[in-house]
Amino acid sequence: MEQPGTTPPLTGAVRELATQVVSTLTSGGHSPVSAYPPVTTGDDELGLAAVRVLGADVLLPAVLHRTLPAPADLAVCEKAVLAYPPGPDASPTSLWSHRAMVRTLAALGAPAAGATLAGPEPDAAWLEDLPWQALTHQLALLAALAVPPTGTTSGDAAAPGALAPSAVADVAQRRTVDIARGFVRAVRRRGWLQAAAAGRWLAHLDGVPRTLGLDAGLEFVGLMGGDDPRVALHLHAARPVRAGAPAGPR
Amino acid sequence: MTSHEYELRNRTQVSDTDIEAALNPGEAQGFYRDTRECAALALQAGAGQVLLAPPAPRPKKG
Repeated sequence: MEQPGTTPPLTGAVRELATQVVSTLTSGGHSPVSAYPPVTTGDDELGLAAVRVLGADVLLPAVLHRTLPAPADLAVCEKAVLAYPPGPDASPTSLWSHRAMVRTLAALGAPAAGATLAGPEPDAAWLEDLPWQALTHQLALLAALAVPPTGTTSGDAAAPGALAPSAVADVAQRRTVDIARGFVRAVRRRGWLQAAAAGRWLAHLDGVPRTLGLDAGLEFVGLMGGDDPRVALHLHAARPVRAGAPAGPR
Repeated sequence: MTSHEYELRNRTQVSDTDIEAALNPGEAQGFYRDTRECAALALQAGAGQVLLAPPAPRPKKG
């Protein structure tokens, strides 16, 4: 565990940014016609890097509440996407994180993102053959993809639980039980960040075993790990989906 | 540039390697057998809210 005072600057900046996102998500009073206050605080090097790491979740308030994003956030996210593109040796996680940012930016009307989005999706077939433990770890890193389809108007509301389409989401839907196993494992390992992220995926997926007790599990993760703003962010992303979920196994 | 400014600049420089490491970290080691955790799980299980089993004991080495 990280000790106070030894947190790397980038980690601290990511946590601070996640705190701002959670604060915006919980502040209420969201209107579809007015932008929420910006969550980003600047476009210095550390700030841009933090935005690149937190990824599309920087814009989560606009996605979840179907509000207009703060113009400053859009601009900073665009800068981060351009400043930190995936390198030639980038991991699939990095490629997908970048893709998620570009996709969200384009859906929210950022002009520069459209051209980047024109390229093909990164490959997701490598997820198919991963053991369930590794699958859960990787999907937890890609939890920013576990969001409703993005729209800018309140009139095109997606069905409750709908998941933004991607090849990663397709794999997640095919391996729901494996992710449920991973959720339990993460809780038992006290890996609250991974548990919250896996729970975020499960909130969107069909076929979650009823015996998992997902709602109570998410509540428990919040109780134990909610001090970490990244955990709280995932739980806030899952909560409205679960609230809109029909009764019965999901 | 003062020494403070130099230190601040170094602390805020981020390399592509830093970004990659932050985006694709290895899995953290698990921690087991936390009494507070067991108690909270038991409380929730008692209320019929959760079906997660309490953490298993950490495997003994050797």
